[in-house]
This record gives sequence, C-alpha cells and structure tokens, in this order.
Amino acid sequence: MLAYREEDNLIHKLHPLTTVVFVAVVFVLALVFSHPVYLLGLLLVIGTVIVGAGHYREWKSYLKFSLVMIAIIIIVNGLFVHVGQTIIFTSPDLLGRGRINVSLEALAFGAGMGIRLLVIISAFCLYTCAVHPDKVMKLFGRGSKSVLIMTLSTRLFPLMVKDYYRIIEVQRCRGVKFDQGRWWQRARNLLPIVSILLVSSLERALQLAESMHARGYGSGPRTSYSRELWRPRDYLILTTVGVGLVLGIWAALQGWSSYSYYPRLPAIQSADVEMTGLIVLMLMVPAVLNWGWGKWPLLKSKI
Amino acid sequence: MAIIKVKNLTYHYPDSRMAALDRIDLEIPEGQFVLVVGGSGSGKSALVRAMAGLIPDYYGGSFSGGVYLDNKEIRQLKRRELVQKIGLVFQDPESQLVMTNVEQELAFGLENLALPNNLIKRRVMEMASALNLTGRLDGSIPELSGGQKQKVALSSVLAMQPEILLLDEPTSQLDPIAGEDLLTMVRRLNEENGLTVVLIEQRLERCFHLADRILVMDRGRIVYDHDDPEKVARWAVANHSRFIPPLARLFASVGYPAVPVTVKQGRALLRHDHRPEREAARPPSPPSPKKVVKAGASSQPLIDMKHVWFSYPDGEEVLKDVNFTINPGDFIVLMGENGAGKTTLVKNINGLLKPSRGQLRVGERDVRQLSVEDIAGMVAYLSQDPNDYLFLPSVREELAFTLHNLGLPDDGISEQLLKSLHLDSLADRNPRDLSTGERQRAALAAVLVSRPQLLMLDEPTRGLDYALKEELGSILQQLQTAGTAIMVVTHDVEFAAEYSEKIVLMGQGSIIAEGNKYAMLSDSTFYCPQISKLFNNMVEGVVTFKQGQAVLTKMMAINNKQALSV
Repeated sequence: MLAYREEDNLIHKLHPLTTVVFVAVVFVLALVFSHPVYLLGLLLVIGTVIVGAGHYREWKSYLKFSLVMIAIIIIVNGLFVHVGQTIIFTSPDLLGRGRINVSLEALAFGAGMGIRLLVIISAFCLYTCAVHPDKVMKLFGRGSKSVLIMTLSTRLFPLMVKDYYRIIEVQRCRGVKFDQGRWWQRARNLLPIVSILLVSSLERALQLAESMHARGYGSGPRTSYSRELWRPRDYLILTTVGVGLVLGIWAALQGWSSYSYYPRLPAIQSADVEMTGLIVLMLMVPAVLNWGWGKWPLLKSKI
Repeated sequence: MAIIKVKNLTYHYPDSRMAALDRIDLEIPEGQFVLVVGGSGSGKSALVRAMAGLIPDYYGGSFSGGVYLDNKEIRQLKRRELVQKIGLVFQDPESQLVMTNVEQELAFGLENLALPNNLIKRRVMEMASALNLTGRLDGSIPELSGGQKQKVALSSVLAMQPEILLLDEPTSQLDPIAGEDLLTMVRRLNEENGLTVVLIEQRLERCFHLADRILVMDRGRIVYDHDDPEKVARWAVANHSRFIPPLARLFASVGYPAVPVTVKQGRALLRHDHRPEREAARPPSPPSPKKVVKAGASSQPLIDMKHVWFSYPDGEEVLKDVNFTINPGDFIVLMGENGAGKTTLVKNINGLLKPSRGQLRVGERDVRQLSVEDIAGMVAYLSQDPNDYLFLPSVREELAFTLHNLGLPDDGISEQLLKSLHLDSLADRNPRDLSTGERQRAALAAVLVSRPQLLMLDEPTRGLDYALKEELGSILQQLQTAGTAIMVVTHDVEFAAEYSEKIVLMGQGSIIAEGNKYAMLSDSTFYCPQISKLFNNMVEGVVTFKQGQAVLTKMMAINNKQALSV
C-alpha cells in the first residue's frame, strides 16, 4: 500500500527536494558516525521530526520490528565476539566445549550498531511516509519511461493488494480453504488467486495502455510538469542541514565521531557531547520550524 | 470545430470472422450530442475506438473504409494532432488513471503533448475550476470515490482541449448519483462549449433526453438513426428492441399517441389527457408473493439477525442494531447510499465478518460457530466482478471446482445448471473468452452448483445492458420459484422494481425501512423507478412495467369511451 499520507504540517509542505536532502543527510551521517553519542543525537533528531510530521503511529510499527532486530544483534554480538575485557557473564561449561564469556564491550558494540540501524530505519520511515513517491520521481526523472513505470507501480500495487483480498474473500465463499491443511495444500489453494490476479492485472494493464495511447503517450518527446515552489523554509532548512552535514563530516575527519568499543569502553568526553549538541541543533531546525509553524500564524506566513 | 465522418467502415478484430463494424456510414456535425445504444457486442465500442484512431492502429485487425475529420483521413494525421482533437473516456476509472495524484493526472496528457510548464499549469487550473476539482488537486487518487475518479479521468481528457469527446459507458461502474453528475457535466460542456459528444450508455433513463440524436447499433451496423427520441422509441417497440428507457417503452408499447422521454413530459401528458379517469384507473392488485417452501422444510428463517452490531477493529461502527430475517423463497433487494453498511451486512451473513454484538443465526446455528467455508454450502455469494471467480480452462471445470471444494458429489446438478443458465453450448469454452453476460452466468453457475438456500448478489446489474438485465432477472425469479432465497445489493431501482418482492433500505448502519416493493417504491421520492414517478399522486402503487401498461391502457380505454359518448 502507498504509505504516504498527506498531513497538515510543515514537514509535508516542504519542497520534496528539501525533505529528500534532510533524509539523505541523516542517512549519510548514520553511516559515518560510530560514536554512540553522535548516533543517539541523530536518533533524537529523526524521531522528533517523524513525530512532528504526524507519523508516530507508522514509526511505532517500524520501531517494533527494529527493536527485535537490535536485540538479536546484541545477543549474537555478545555471544560470538570475545575481544572485550570487561566480562559480565560467564556461562557454565557447555558439553566440554568450554565456557562463553560475554563482555560489556561486545554488548555495547551491539547496542551501538542497533542505534545506527534504528536511525537508518527511521530515516527510511520518514521518507516513505512524508515524501510523495511521484514527486520524488518527477524530481529526478524528468519524464523518463522508468519514472512512469515506477509511478504506475505505486498506483497499481495498492489496487492489486485490494484485488487480492477481494478474490480471497470471493473464493472462500466458494469453499476454498486457505487456512487449513499442510503448507503445500495451502500454497496450492492460493494458485487460483494468483492466476485470477495475473489475468485481471494483465487485462487492466492493456486497458491502461490504451488510455495512455489515447492521451498521446509515446507520440514524441514529453515534458515534465512540476508545480513545486521554493519557500524560505526550504532555504532555511537546506542551509542548516548543510551546516550539520559539514560539521558531521568535519567531526568524522577529526576522528571525534568514531568510537573504539574494544578492548575497553573509553570514557565519553564532554567535547563529544558538545559537538553532538551542535549537530543536533542544526538538524533539529525542521522540527523546530514545524513546531513554530503550528504555534504562530505569523511565523507560518513568513516562512 | 470539426466534423467527423465515417465512410463505409468495416472492421474485424484480429482472429475474428464476424465483423465488429459492418459498412458504417455516419456524419456527425460539430456540437451534436449523439447517444449510441445497443447490446453487448453490437459494435458500439468499436465505433468510438475507430473514431479515436485506436482501431486499427492500437488493436490491429482488418479495416476498410475510413474515418475523416474535417475531410482529412484521421490515419493521415499525426497522433499528437489527433489526440488534441478527439478525446476518449473509458468505462472503468481504475483502468485509465495513471498517476497517484489528481493534479499530475490532469497534467499527464499535456506532458505527452510536450507543452511547456506554464501552459500546463494554466490548463490544469482551468480544468480544475471548470469541473469543480480545485480543492482536490493535491488529493491522492486511490482515496477518491468511483465518481470522483471518473471525473478526474474526464478532466484529464478535457485538459487536452479536444473538439470531439467520446465516452464509452463512462457511468457503468458508478452509483446512480455519481453517474447522473457526470452526465450532467457532459451535457453542460456540450451546451456551453459546443463540444461534440458521442456517448455510449446503458442506463438510458439517465441520458435519452440529453441527446440530440440517437444511433441504435446491432451486429456491427447502425440499424436506426434519428434525432427524435419519440420516433426511436416507436421504432424500438415495433422492432422488439430493448434499448429505450422504461418510460418511453411504456408509452410506445401501449400505442399511446405521444411518447414522452422524461418523467416531467410524461406527467404533463397524463395530466392533460386524463384528468377524470385517473381515479378510475386503479392498478391491478399486485400479485401475491411467490412463497415457495420446499416440502419438508421447516418454517424457520434462513437468516435471523437480532440486534446485530458490528464495528471494525479501528472502532468504526458500521452496523447498528440490525434486525432482519431472510426466509426461504424471499426475493429481497438491499438498497442505500454508499457507506450505509450494505456490504458489511452481507459479509456478516456469509461469515467473512463476525458480529460484534447481537445474534446472527444461519439456519439453526449461530454464525460465530461457523466458518466461512461451513456457510459456503448454504449461502452462495456472487460479487460484482464475475472475473473474480473464473480461472479454469472451461466453464464445466469451474462448476466441478466448487463441488470439489465443498466435498459434494455431482449428481447431475452441473448439467442441469448449465442447461438452465443457457451455458450448455459454452460448457467447454474458456470462461475468460466469453462475453460480459455469459461470464456472469458462468460465475453464477459456479456458485449455484452447491444448491445454496440463499443467493446473495452484489451490484449484479452494473455494466449490463437491458437485455442482459432481463435475462438475469428471469433467472433469479426461476431460482426463487424453486425455493432459493435471493438477496440483491443494488442501486438499480428499475431492476428492484421489476423483479424483487421486498425492499430493505439501509442508512448509516441501520435498517431505515423495509416492506414490500409496492409500498416501498411508490412511496419514495428518490428510491423509486421512472414508472412510479410517472404515476406518483395520480395512481398509487404502480411500480412494475406491467402495472404501468395496464393502468395506461385502462386510461386510454376510458378516454376513448368518453370521446365516443361525446
């Protein structure tokens, strides 16, 4: 289904390029940083923007999935990486194969990677929920065929999902059992659905092609229509996000944003927190403007 | 503005020996509103596709003769030139919209013409305000209703500023109100902008009066062409053609001196011609309901709903305190606006949804104890689109598939059904190759083969022409006579008036009113057929075509007697 949902807030009223740049910057910095404080800062930024954009519900479902993944990463890392020196747990002898030592460093590394994953998944969540796929494709594709194919898939996929559920219902009323029997019997029962879906989608594709032909598609080169406007809010956000990116990369080049978990966890310096604070401040601008946009009509009219 | 001419046009679809268009000669002057009527397979769609240049360029096949736009053969025009002169709107909005956003859809054709951004912007804005879409430009297409989607499809074609607008059954997938809106809009464009319109439509009661000219097609030929609807109606009755609205057919069928096209004209005629004798012309008393209870069957209802409430998981309350029974041999039509809860009610009966509160019994058991598959043998369901059923290589196998699913033996029921639904000659054909009506009959056979006690149909008349509707109506009545209860969910008031016995009206999740059709339909302002509207406040309780004929004949007889005595 199309996850995009129009909401009445500033994040949804940005030029699509601004939102894409913001998401890309968070994504790049998440890959560049390995320091847990920097990563937590990014998580704070992306989380605030998502909640401000009105997508807490969608984010929650992404979070549920990610937390399971993170738990797995922490456990696996704790069990299999033995370079940490602060042992916090030693298992009993496992059938003569020796004991397993779980170190704080290995668990912390797993948690750090987990936060990175969380930031990346959250960035993805914001992209799917707050940027209209057609607009992004228009932005980068300028009327090319592949853009149209992508647009058509975003248009037809929800239709196919709807068809799928409808056909399942119809066939259940005809006695087809989808939730009984062994897995191969259930899979076999799905065959009629797949074949109806394929035939119907093919028929729809032919009709769609006819309608496109009748509206002159393929009759020569085409133009690409766009009515996206640039507003002060876009310039403001692009500037501050740009500064945030420069600061982040500078911190990375200086080696401040990297963190070596092994063999012992080094202490967190106040300079790391200060630098993170500065980057967060820059990247928080969309969330702050969004808050002000809803609060002060004057600000709304000015940006 | 352009004049379109069709000269001696003959066309065969690829691999077809029968001509889809057979020596068509036609000239449509600019600004005319032409209505094309005919049964399925009569060549209507082929004709508009030929006018739009899609035949033969897009479809292939063999083609002779030509279509001319201002005396220039359209095949000699560049496609870009042609699509700016002739626009075509198709049946199903879902299958013609390309983008996910309304504004982008309106711009799609203009982008194909390689127009500059500022001109596209202007055209999109103009079109949006002309068709009242301005507030919806940012809207997402999947979230629009069927009527709004079709309006977007129409606007997207009109944005290209064609001089001739072709519409191929544009309202067939819409509910009556949305359909009416669309046709009114088309008529306005024709009147105010002088746009030439060629419209194919099945629900003639909505558009017969709008047209300047009516073409009747049959087997690829134009069999009648006239600008006077009265003449067309008389011709249709004399030639046993079904393709006139019920009102015109009524007057023409009793040989009335004048044939009205709208209810307003009809009522004016009756008021003028039959002042005193209206009172005397009581309709024959309605036939007593055909209650058939199979021998040995108990008098227990098939479906018994008591104080049923249903809410979706998000808390939306859709059914509110519904009390409702279906008895063997009932023929019920369930009506109501979109979102009234009709579909949810049906899904509660066939077990796809379970009531949140209250009691719903299917036969002797509570629906909560039964799975959908348990209910399937007793309650059959035919959805709007017969294609959702058909996937096997032959019609016969479709029937066997249902029997196999339900673990039932074939004791000759398949053959019997194939015969009674006139499918015996098509039994070994691939159901996907059949025509609309045949596909629907094949799907019907596939659900009836389990000998259900209740058959539920969802909008079965959508997209069907008059002849196919009559065929379906008589099949359902035969089933009813054999003891099967029928429940039809439909917006089609004319169908409800002719074939049902009982009408149930739903609104906002509750049953607002129910009763026999004579009381329900003659007593309503909106949910009533043309014939009831005609006799409203003149002769009460007239609902069916036959009643209408009897009343009108009586009126004419009284009138004649008075004329003689004077």
